[in-house]
Amino acid sequence: MLLKMLRKDFHRKKSITITLFIFVMLSAFLVSSGSIMFIKLFDSIDNLFTTSNTPHFVQMHAGEVDQTEIDRWTSSNSLVKDQQTVEMVGIDGANIFLGNSHEPEKNSVMDISFVKQNKSFDYLLDLENQVIQVSKGEVGVPIYYMQEENLKLGDKVRISNGSFDKEFTVAYFVQDAQMNPSVVSSKRFLVNDADFETLKNNFDEKEYLIEFLLKDLSKLSEFSQAYQSSNLPHKGPSVDYGTFKILNALTEGIVPAVILLVSILLMIIAILCLRLTILATIEEEYREIGVMKAIGIDEHYIKKIYLFKYIVLAALASIAGYLGSLFISPLFIENIMLYIGTTSDNILHQIIPFISVSIIFFIVVFFCRLTLRRFNKITTVEALRAGSIGETKISKGFLPMHKSKYLDVNIFLGLKDILGRLKMFGLLFFVFIVCSIIIIVPVNFLNTIQSPSFIKYMGVGQSDIRIDLQQSDDIVQRFNDVLTYIENDKDVEKFSPMITSRFNVIDSDGVLENISIETGDFSIFPLEYLEGAAPSSGNEIVLSYLNAKEMGKSVGDTLSLIVDDNKKEMVVSGIYQDITNGGRTAKALLPVVNNKTVLWYVVNLDVKRHVNIGDKIHDYTEAFHSTKVTHLEGYLAQTLGGTIEQLKLMTIVAIVIAICVSILITSLFVQMLVAKDYSQIAIMKSIGFSLKDIQVQNVVKVLLVMVIGIIVGTIISNTIGQSLVNVLLSFLGASKIEFVINPVQAYVLCPLILILSVTVTTLLSTKSLKQAKLADLRVE
Amino acid sequence: MKTILEAKRLNKAFGSNQTNQILKDVNVEIVEGEFVSVMGPSGSGKSTLLYNISGMDRMTSGSVILDEQEISSLSEKELARFRLHKMGFIFQQIHLLKNLSIFDNIILSAYMAKKNSRKEINNRAMKLMEKTGIAELADNDITQASGGQLQRVAICRALINNPDIIFGDEPTGALNSKSAVEIMELLAEINQTGTTILLVTHDVKVAAKTERVIYMLDGKIIGEQHLGKYKVKNNDFKEREEKLSKWLMSMGF
Repeated sequence: MLLKMLRKDFHRKKSITITLFIFVMLSAFLVSSGSIMFIKLFDSIDNLFTTSNTPHFVQMHAGEVDQTEIDRWTSSNSLVKDQQTVEMVGIDGANIFLGNSHEPEKNSVMDISFVKQNKSFDYLLDLENQVIQVSKGEVGVPIYYMQEENLKLGDKVRISNGSFDKEFTVAYFVQDAQMNPSVVSSKRFLVNDADFETLKNNFDEKEYLIEFLLKDLSKLSEFSQAYQSSNLPHKGPSVDYGTFKILNALTEGIVPAVILLVSILLMIIAILCLRLTILATIEEEYREIGVMKAIGIDEHYIKKIYLFKYIVLAALASIAGYLGSLFISPLFIENIMLYIGTTSDNILHQIIPFISVSIIFFIVVFFCRLTLRRFNKITTVEALRAGSIGETKISKGFLPMHKSKYLDVNIFLGLKDILGRLKMFGLLFFVFIVCSIIIIVPVNFLNTIQSPSFIKYMGVGQSDIRIDLQQSDDIVQRFNDVLTYIENDKDVEKFSPMITSRFNVIDSDGVLENISIETGDFSIFPLEYLEGAAPSSGNEIVLSYLNAKEMGKSVGDTLSLIVDDNKKEMVVSGIYQDITNGGRTAKALLPVVNNKTVLWYVVNLDVKRHVNIGDKIHDYTEAFHSTKVTHLEGYLAQTLGGTIEQLKLMTIVAIVIAICVSILITSLFVQMLVAKDYSQIAIMKSIGFSLKDIQVQNVVKVLLVMVIGIIVGTIISNTIGQSLVNVLLSFLGASKIEFVINPVQAYVLCPLILILSVTVTTLLSTKSLKQAKLADLRVE
Repeated sequence: MKTILEAKRLNKAFGSNQTNQILKDVNVEIVEGEFVSVMGPSGSGKSTLLYNISGMDRMTSGSVILDEQEISSLSEKELARFRLHKMGFIFQQIHLLKNLSIFDNIILSAYMAKKNSRKEINNRAMKLMEKTGIAELADNDITQASGGQLQRVAICRALINNPDIIFGDEPTGALNSKSAVEIMELLAEINQTGTTILLVTHDVKVAAKTERVIYMLDGKIIGEQHLGKYKVKNNDFKEREEKLSKWLMSMGF
């Protein structure tokens, strides 16, 4: 009997049932896909790190290496299991041509190195997670370039510096546990041992990765301290196993996190829709419920009849969502697989999504049960006499029409209906708030990250051109040459050389830690500070947000720095935001006493007003080899290019989701409104209201709720939404990002898209109004 | 006298193949200022006739001319405007808008019609409420009035736009006998001011207060009885009722 009733009910309320089904299914689909992606991501990372045998500690070093010294130190250190020194030949982007491009990679922010396959650990793998063995004339290209440059196997990579020219064939794409993520600005190309020797003989720039495998990973910090306090090379940053993992997880984990978030939102919407549907059904069938009670059917059984339908609906939708995710999620996982590699399927890949879908199912059923508690309030006599539960209590006493002098009747009726049934319209209001947040936050964040002013979150002042010089043996000479050239260039308005060196800082436990400190004149291209101001004397230092947070320092606190082998007390004069270099940087007015500790040199400059920045960049690129000359916007685009592209895609997806949700909910809501108000609509038609009048009333109701929803959504987006983005970005080093809002996009276009789609939906959903006539309501 | 409503060969059928014919070639004519009632057993088609000649429902075939306008040629929108300006309706059930006060229910259609200023409309509504004896209910919700009082509200609403004709579908059907008498006397009074009224009823006491009674059976008009204008002061209600009852019995009622 229950099945029969179910079939009948489905035929009677086809569109509502289908909409509810879609919501629960999408929610189940997304939660399942999100959890599959998370499991696979963590599995893949584990798999990649195990297969490649990722080092636990890596010290980068630009300069000569004394392997005997390293070996001696290693053998005396009981924590070390294995050690290897990876030699890398650094080749400037200006000398590399990828694929069919005739333009070299001179503007690339990536530091490109060529390596040979390692012998003991830190293997470079192919897309199938196999250790690559490259033949002569072949090259393994980082996946980053496969995506960015659309490279294919068989394409060519040419290296040419005028005196040397060699072409390689792309035979593999390389998965590199250390340098896979696009946020890591170094990339390793893999060549055959013989080719490596050839390159080594033709390019002078060498860099070393001094890598260690430990016996016990939990002793990593002890080892790191031991290394730092040794005399071993450390002209370059050091990175550890945990950081490699986090970088990989962060890069690929954003999408599944967003998917899970959207699925929770959809589930909330589905539950609210179910509540509305259940209440409308009870209202509609109030008399029938009364009859059932009158003839002695147990209340629990009546509840069961109603609950049965929703259990079946939720179960079928959850199963469909789960099965769908098993088939479709491999498409989502493609990118993870590409960057982090394949993972073998295991039973957990099916069980965990199933558990998460089951949770969705039980939550939905639980809320249905909760809503059905309204049955307890229905008394038989009342149900039979009144025939209507009057669930949506209508307040009538306020807003009398006869006191309104000018307001159009249809607008008035729409407004009055909303105010009279606030609770019912609350669902629509909530959905519109959520939809506008889903649209506005990504749009504003995208706009912010694309804006030139985003540079202030990268620990850099605003300038026209940035020149980067990386470590090399002749770096001091090159740096001086650059400065001399700039000083004599009449087109330059102002410039500021900055030198980043490594210092040691004594932490709260008295242990020495490394810190990169930039020195220079910070008044030429001033930074914006979260707190405090630029250092004004030699004993003042400003810290990046993450450094300050990790060291537990705020403005006015002191920290002990080792400068020229002497301990120096520095006062923290300011804190700034910086998402570059892992978010851990500092700036101070310190003398550069030891060129060996210098990590890199940067020169920022502004050109005079009449000078074309593009031309100037071209001139400087020609003039200084082995430097990176970038337009500030170009620097942003290259550093954040990949993120911006991903964010663009996410924004489009978010807009499409928000519009679809608005359309579905509006359609469902208006159809229910029309069904609920059928008799009231028929009365209005009988006294001379046209179909258009009633459509206008519905559009007024929906749009009014929408406009207020958009306003509230916009306020939330720009306050809580912005704070949420800040929480996420604070992990990267920027804790106080202010949205750069494009008013046309955020306040005109986005609301307009929502308003248009919802208006059309409302008009289409009120088609059934045509049939409403009092002739159907008459009592013979 | 001018004919205000004329239906010719009016047919109405229901069902997927229009097999269930409710009205069969009905012809009816009502002149200005007339007070006409339609009687007949259940299922005879009297309410269907009312809804079709008032444009509330679309006829299957035939013609209805109301105030010199063929209503079957009007679009939905034109028909709505026509109803707003030319017609008033009173139903058996209290079809009032739940979220408006009694006063706002009355003025609603006049605010829509915009024939007068809102101030004038408010004044007219108040006068109508005074006339029908419900002035003190103006600010009440529709839940704060009795069935008889609500039917008076419906009458005020029907009159607010000065319609050419008022249609009533069993206007006293849901009322107690005292309220029914009061409502019928009120309608007779309104008719005497020149408003044409056509109503459907089962009740002989109601029909006896109308000027002409049309009798329907199986979708056809099979007879009519002229009773003349009813006036309370004539004190002839008993005679009218007896005359009508005899005639109805002769028709098989």
